[in-house]
Amino acid sequence: MTTNPSTPPSEATLQAFADMSAALTGFQSSFIRPFLDPVNLSGTFYQFAVSQVGQPRMDALMSTFASLSNQTPKLTSQQIADTLLETMLDAPSLQAQLCQSIVGMWYLGSWYVPGVLGGGGFSPPALQVISSQAYTKSLAWNLAQAHPMGFSAFTFGYWHQQPASLATFGVDTSNGGGQ
Amino acid sequence: MSSNASPQYDAVIIGAGVSGNLIAKQLGLAGKKVLILEAGLPVPDSREDYMNNFYLALAKTPESPYPALAGRTGSATNPVGELPNPTQLPTPRATVLAIGKGPDVSYLIQAQPWSETNPGSKAPPQNPPPDANGNIFGLQFSSTFERNGGGTSWHWLGTSLRELENDIQLQTKYGHGVDWPITYTELQQLWALAENEIGVAASTAEQEPLEVVGLVYPPGYEYPMQSIPMSLVDEAVSTGVAGLQVPGTLPDTPGGSDPTMYNVFVTPTPQGRNSEPFDDRRVCAGNTNCIPICPIQAKWDPTITLGKALDTGNVTVSYQSVAYNVAVDGTNATRVDYYVWSRDANGNLTKVSKSVTGKIYVLACHAIENAKLLLLSNNMQGIANSSDQVGRNLMDHPLYLTWALAPEPIYGYRGPLATSGIESLRDGEFRKYRASFRMEIGNEGWNFSKGDPYTTAMDFIQGTNNSGVNDGGPNGTPQRLAGLQLAEKLNNIYTRQFRIGCMFDQSPLPDNRVTLDITNGQPNNVDGLGIPRPKVNYGLDPYTMEGFRMAAYVCSQVYQKMGAKEFTVNGVGGAGDFTYQGVNYHYYGAGHVVGTHRMGNESGSSVVDASQRSHDIPNMWIVGSGSFPTVCTANPTLTLMALAFKSADSIIAALNS
Repeated sequence: MTTNPSTPPSEATLQAFADMSAALTGFQSSFIRPFLDPVNLSGTFYQFAVSQVGQPRMDALMSTFASLSNQTPKLTSQQIADTLLETMLDAPSLQAQLCQSIVGMWYLGSWYVPGVLGGGGFSPPALQVISSQAYTKSLAWNLAQAHPMGFSAFTFGYWHQQPASLATFGVDTSNGGGQ
Repeated sequence: MSSNASPQYDAVIIGAGVSGNLIAKQLGLAGKKVLILEAGLPVPDSREDYMNNFYLALAKTPESPYPALAGRTGSATNPVGELPNPTQLPTPRATVLAIGKGPDVSYLIQAQPWSETNPGSKAPPQNPPPDANGNIFGLQFSSTFERNGGGTSWHWLGTSLRELENDIQLQTKYGHGVDWPITYTELQQLWALAENEIGVAASTAEQEPLEVVGLVYPPGYEYPMQSIPMSLVDEAVSTGVAGLQVPGTLPDTPGGSDPTMYNVFVTPTPQGRNSEPFDDRRVCAGNTNCIPICPIQAKWDPTITLGKALDTGNVTVSYQSVAYNVAVDGTNATRVDYYVWSRDANGNLTKVSKSVTGKIYVLACHAIENAKLLLLSNNMQGIANSSDQVGRNLMDHPLYLTWALAPEPIYGYRGPLATSGIESLRDGEFRKYRASFRMEIGNEGWNFSKGDPYTTAMDFIQGTNNSGVNDGGPNGTPQRLAGLQLAEKLNNIYTRQFRIGCMFDQSPLPDNRVTLDITNGQPNNVDGLGIPRPKVNYGLDPYTMEGFRMAAYVCSQVYQKMGAKEFTVNGVGGAGDFTYQGVNYHYYGAGHVVGTHRMGNESGSSVVDASQRSHDIPNMWIVGSGSFPTVCTANPTLTLMALAFKSADSIIAALNS
């Protein structure tokens, strides 16, 4: 586990962050962090979150995830996500709020300050779009079986056809998820 | 330059947008020497910087890719970041983020809504009251524009509908508004020229059903390229509304009733984007981003025509050149005075005053900026205004937005932003009593309506219900979901979202008006060059608001017939909120700014003639949608380009005579 914020996270930390992100978002881990990953959003998001909440808080979350991952019998990805995001509790802890912000990064490419809620019909104000690639690879659009507005890899007339399956868009639909 | 020297150019055109560039091109092809004065920054060699601005913008508004708002980053206490103060900008413009704000943020000086004048108030919010005639003034003019090379139509939607015959003879036919001083036959010829310049994708066969509202083409006419395929959203609406009819008016419509039942049906929209390679540009890839910016220029924009103008070898552009005075000697315009602005290494704004002369002058800098420049000229006494109509009759297509969830996935967020509409209600006897409207079907889910995918995603992540759809917990409370359940819930909602935007043929009102923000000849609010800013008064009359009431009814009928669930919410006390017959409505700006230098046959009641030539100043043309006498039922770009073709012909004739 990386403890020094000035050095890039280790390979093991990045993979653990990607695995946790996959569980939290419902996407395939190999989609979150492909074998060949020149964009490396896992690294970008990990370091951005650390810059916002500090290394100790991120380390604590990663420890919680590690212990959940190592439980026997093995928890499903859905169980891990529900536990981390505390969906059964009325009010999420600070750690669950950090998880919400991590989901926000992957889905929407932006940083939502943990615990800041929207209101009056509006989403919470994001602090910033983390990077151009964070936007063009943001995953909420995949949940629409579409593409980020302004960044289509499709070709003329695709909108007249049914889209590919949700799994093709990276969602881990295999039996309630798996690692 | 002394007044008896030869003019430097055949024509000086102010503004490098749709009309200015088209006229420059036509004049250049005819061998005329043209200078374009463009207030804003040059057209960039590549649109990558603009794309990057867009990607990084928190609020992806129409203005977001373009200079002056770019690069803002927020802080924990001010996530949106500081909006620039127009007083410090050389070319400030109306922006979506500034609507309703005060002069330190909003370029346009206008009434502010209750929410801005009562910050933090716990009192019930209020909308402006009607006057004795039922008009509601003190509303916000909500359309915005750009001031850069290429102009506002960098972010036009591409919708290239023709007007209807009765659109341009509203007074004769229905006793409302005013007629246009041009025949439908002539417009048909001009539209064909504009459709070829833009590269409009459409099929006359597919438009044939609209003969019921008077849309007819000359025999044998074909568009330059095949139509754009309908989206799955379009098809769902088209199938879902089959057999739906609505009356011309609702009960209690002031003035009279039209009980005729009108068929509701969907037709593909003629669009200025490529369905096949055209003009050395690619086919549309469905980026769903026509507004604010097409990433691949498959959609025509004015920079394409500007390139052709420059290719003639007869056209020069002077950027960062803001006209502030058109000198008039007797009846003729003799000179344009302008500032060339720049910023030094420290970002300080500097300006140099220059003048240029031409045989002909063309004001082509947007309906509001044209009016501003006319009123500024002659030491703020105004020019070309013997009719007192300059700046009056400001209109928009106020846009009423409704949204719903379809019963099954229909897959929005795909394709161009809009590919079809309901045009079948654009004409009928009801136009005696209420505003007509067209209905645009959106392909962008609830992005316009609710800021999705953001709002609904954060709702289910955080357990809030700002979208209106997160009420599936116990007793209708919001749910908080995780992992695959979260992903599948959002998938279920996003793929069923769609919306309809209704755009009204708003009445021309003399009190809807652009003036200069001056008191006793002294400017109150100025831009970074010291030029007085435009002040705008805006309101709606009962005729227009009755159109809203009808549109809300028709949308609800459409959703019911489709088995869709409507989620439309209209607020109170915000910019664009108003109350009519006890019901709250909200309008957006459509960016269709018209009427401020209306054309007409009579010099006493209009500013320009049918060729957009000033009645008062024979060597000056005032062009663009500001010349429209009424806003009609089609999006204006195609028609304003069509009129520019007519103007170009008349300018060439004048230069040759």
